[in-house]
Amino acid sequence: MAGTSKPAVYKYSRGAQPGTAARTGDWRFLTPNWIYRPSPCRIACPLGSEIPAWLEAVKRERFDEAWRILRRSNPFPAISGAVCFHPCTENCNRGQLDESIAIPELERAVGEWRQKHYRPPAGPPVTRGRVAVIGSGPAGLSCAYYLNRAGIGVTVFERAPVCGGLLALGIPQYRLPRALLSRELEMLKDDGIIFETGVAAGGELPLDRLNEEYDLLFLAVGAQKERPLNIPGAEAAGVISAYEFLRRVNLGETVRLVEPVIVVGGGNAAVDAARVALLQEGITRVSLVYRRTRKEMPATADEVDAAEKEGVQLYFNLSPQALRLEEERPAEILFEQTETAEGKIKVLPAPPRSFACGTLIYALGQQPDWEALGRLSRELTLFAGGDLVSGPSTVPAAIQAGRLAAAGIMERLKRRPGTGEAQFLEGKPVVGFEELNLAALPSAHLTRRLSDPVAEAGRCIGCGTCSSCGLCALYCPDLAVQWRRERYDVNLDYCKGCGLCARECPARALVMKGGWEDAC
Amino acid sequence: MITPEEAQNGGLLYAGHPACPGCGAALSVRYLTRALGEKTAFVITASCWSIIAGLPPLTSLKCPILHCTFPSAAAVGSGVKRGLVRKGDRETNVLVLSGDGGTFDIGLQALSGAAQRNEDIIFVCYDNEAYMNTGGQTSSATPYGTRTATAPFPLYQDRPKKDMIRIMAAHGIPYAATATVAFVDDMHRKFAAAREIRGFRFFHLLSPCPPGWGAEPDETIHLSRLAVESCLFPLYEVRDGEHYTLTYRPAQKKPLEEYLKLQRRFHSLEKEQLEAMQRQLDLNWQKLLQLIN
Repeated sequence: MAGTSKPAVYKYSRGAQPGTAARTGDWRFLTPNWIYRPSPCRIACPLGSEIPAWLEAVKRERFDEAWRILRRSNPFPAISGAVCFHPCTENCNRGQLDESIAIPELERAVGEWRQKHYRPPAGPPVTRGRVAVIGSGPAGLSCAYYLNRAGIGVTVFERAPVCGGLLALGIPQYRLPRALLSRELEMLKDDGIIFETGVAAGGELPLDRLNEEYDLLFLAVGAQKERPLNIPGAEAAGVISAYEFLRRVNLGETVRLVEPVIVVGGGNAAVDAARVALLQEGITRVSLVYRRTRKEMPATADEVDAAEKEGVQLYFNLSPQALRLEEERPAEILFEQTETAEGKIKVLPAPPRSFACGTLIYALGQQPDWEALGRLSRELTLFAGGDLVSGPSTVPAAIQAGRLAAAGIMERLKRRPGTGEAQFLEGKPVVGFEELNLAALPSAHLTRRLSDPVAEAGRCIGCGTCSSCGLCALYCPDLAVQWRRERYDVNLDYCKGCGLCARECPARALVMKGGWEDAC
Repeated sequence: MITPEEAQNGGLLYAGHPACPGCGAALSVRYLTRALGEKTAFVITASCWSIIAGLPPLTSLKCPILHCTFPSAAAVGSGVKRGLVRKGDRETNVLVLSGDGGTFDIGLQALSGAAQRNEDIIFVCYDNEAYMNTGGQTSSATPYGTRTATAPFPLYQDRPKKDMIRIMAAHGIPYAATATVAFVDDMHRKFAAAREIRGFRFFHLLSPCPPGWGAEPDETIHLSRLAVESCLFPLYEVRDGEHYTLTYRPAQKKPLEEYLKLQRRFHSLEKEQLEAMQRQLDLNWQKLLQLIN
């Protein structure tokens, strides 16, 4: 405060006292309040990630702080930055001004910073877990991470020879570089999480026995059973499910494909399978056939566009009818012509279309493989989450499910959750584009710069959150807004309540409320 | 991005000054003293700032202040500067702070005299477009169409505002400039430039006055920004009375109405008057652009 600094009263005006002795704050009938309202990116994020807050840290080149904020809702920013379908950028308010913030790229930059600067915790190695996590997909890993952070020992069981579940076996390498994934897994191991691979819980390791050895179970085995293709000829060799195909390719096995390859389905798995098929040696003709229109495809539009660009032929409104075999291998596939009306598929009375077919890959949607879990001989207390519960969904949704399961398990074990849980701002209205004071926005002239994360984060308006742009302090006629303890704060001794700070805040993080007190 | 130190730098202003909430004049002095630095002496003529400067023994400025009578501002400033020089102090900037009344009307002869003699002072007019301290009487800085205490409804100011910068430029002074509170960097740059110049320097600062203009106190910066964006108050400087330079060119000229409708002093305007004002503004803007080229 100015009163505590040395008064700089000029020598001529001896006897004068600094004006700070007058507390003009008692004129006030409105008081500025910092309100934290959710930004549209945060509402759109399946993880509820505090995007403006960690972008603000990146802006100030504080990657450690950014990671600390990010990990409250997402422990794997490197992975989600690479594979997430980024609804955040689609809803970014800045997108309406010029171009949205490159949030996934920044998320990945924070994740890579973390991978580079990771130090394993000191202390004796963990030998036994209290909680068994079954399945090492994104949900299982996220649950294990949060339990471990809260000091609860975790053992993760994985059926496949490699950890990562869908991340390792489902997602193609071009979308998630395997080095990123293995580094994340390494860090989890160094954190003290025990991994056991090649163990099929439910099979040779019955759930009953696990339940006896561990306090609680978290079941996150995902949805790994492909819906069968019920057409004549579907049992032949040369017909393979997308899940199986991607799993085998990702495990490094060679899958024999015969041209032309036909992929049936419209989800991300179908698109991934088509793109991966095109990458196989000697394969140039790949077609993707979907029974509805392009608009109705569940796959991400970016992925479909990329597949088309790479040379995948796309066909729509065709539903598989029959597969004709020659020497027990597919030769020709017939499709019924369809039409979609109000979401329902109607078969048209038109002659079927025929496609030459060497290999048929089908991706009609996955469902949980209940039988593989084995029979339970008695009642068990277990937690379940991820695709197993929700049906096929996204990686961030699975990470969120793991986090929620961890919270439930901690409650059950009567453990307090780890520090710095993300706060959810339910019920507070989202900051809309029209509300922002863009005239004052200091970063309005900046354009997208992917090469420099700090500069790119500097473009964030920080809707609903203080991004410490300093305009409130700059425009205060009463010098009442001051930088204290790493944030701007209002000195109510001098604030006359004019409201300039709130009016000029580009992000609408400040609001004037009636009364003398700071209500927040 | 500005650093927190820059953002909260109050210049020579103390918190706790008795200006109204959202005062543009207090902000003007805050920003200009940031650029001028501590070696500044103020001469304040009768105006809002006579009050804002503090009730003795309190002072709102971290520098000496000499209050003077309405018509004598520039003359007193000249005397202070010459006195300081006589005592061997050539460094201290003497800043004469005056409202629009003390500049456009009552102080004009002393101002003209000091400018003609090219006294080494900085004369700052913070223009709130009426005698706001005494209740908002019409001055010759009051723009056409304004309702004031001396021209209440259905009357209004029916003469255009005096073009003070061109009057001052006609004296051939080394530096004259306009600035306003929304464009802090621009104001800072101009005062930093003026500090390095010897001779008479004149500033015309548009300082929105929320109570006098009938605006909300939180609109000060917005009004100031709109005045510039609508080209009503262009930001420019004049060197040696002839070299005009535009320091900020609005990307897109905003309609004047947006600025006027935020202020109750313009609420009695008819549509034809609004259009006439917009035409006058366009004409003035064209004239200024010609001067610049």
